[in-house]
Amino acid sequence: MSKYILHKEDSRHHEYNDWLESKKTFSFADYYNPKRIHFGALRVFNDDVVKATKGFGKHPHDNMEIISIPLQGSLIHKDNLGNEEVIRAGEIQVMSTGSGVFHSEYNHETAEDTRFLQIWIYPAALNVAPHYSRLTLQDAWFDNQFGTFVAPVASQKAAMIQQDAYLSMGKFNGDKEFTYTIQQNGNGAYLYVIDGSIDIDGHVLSSGDALGISDTAAFKGQVKSSSATILVIDVPMNIQL
Amino acid sequence: MTNKSSLNLLAIGYHPEIMQVVHRLINSHNGWHGTIAESLAQAQQLLQNNAYDGILLCAGVSQADEAQVNNIATNTRIIRHYGGGSGLLENEIRIAFEI
Repeated sequence: MSKYILHKEDSRHHEYNDWLESKKTFSFADYYNPKRIHFGALRVFNDDVVKATKGFGKHPHDNMEIISIPLQGSLIHKDNLGNEEVIRAGEIQVMSTGSGVFHSEYNHETAEDTRFLQIWIYPAALNVAPHYSRLTLQDAWFDNQFGTFVAPVASQKAAMIQQDAYLSMGKFNGDKEFTYTIQQNGNGAYLYVIDGSIDIDGHVLSSGDALGISDTAAFKGQVKSSSATILVIDVPMNIQL
Repeated sequence: MTNKSSLNLLAIGYHPEIMQVVHRLINSHNGWHGTIAESLAQAQQLLQNNAYDGILLCAGVSQADEAQVNNIATNTRIIRHYGGGSGLLENEIRIAFEI
């Protein structure tokens, strides 16, 4: 029988300062809620809005898979691996931080906010060589279907991650029924509604809501608005930390 | 359950720049004191001569090294730190000590 965990938009931890508005689904930095630590290998899900030209200065990471998905605006990324890239809405970046990376992320826009999803996933192995990749997404991959754009093996349509995890997105028309099939035995799906409204087994989700689904091989849903954009993070549920 | 406002922590990691950040973050927390070991040998020496409430395993520490630390510090809480001096550090310590 499927297990569900519902995270409504207004249950996220909301923080502001003069350059950042951050909605944190799971405990992070000063936010600590023992009931909100992780969903399987998914450890961080921050929905961040960064003011024009502001951002996160140079800082380190290790042993974490970090995926950034700009939803509006653009970020400029610099790291000590020699990468300097602008990542715009419609593109993503993946950092396998492994044995250690220093990087900065700033809003590249001079006058507009940039909104991006910051997703951290525990790696399958420790201290691997760091790796960075950027991928441009194509609308056709997601047209009334789920398209996987992050996977354990790199392809033309997917950036590589050091975990048996998959990120997929679907952009569905109104009233459309959709099915998502879990991509690996033992994984669960963390489903986030980027926009629109959907129903999954009686759970009505709107923009900013999320539903964790485990102990199932697949699930169905129905779009309840004129359209809906859905992100699915498919991660191992049994992880040893 | 251990509810401690004061913690003496040994952080082991082999990436000096990251360990500087880890050290700063631990010591920025009121009541927490961090000592850094940048090699397994240094960690073994520190563990033989000092008592710690917890040990953080950071950048570069392998599972084989972790096993060796486990063998030395059998009664000390051992915490794997992910993220490299990141927003997870305080959370990981609070979870381990149920603070």
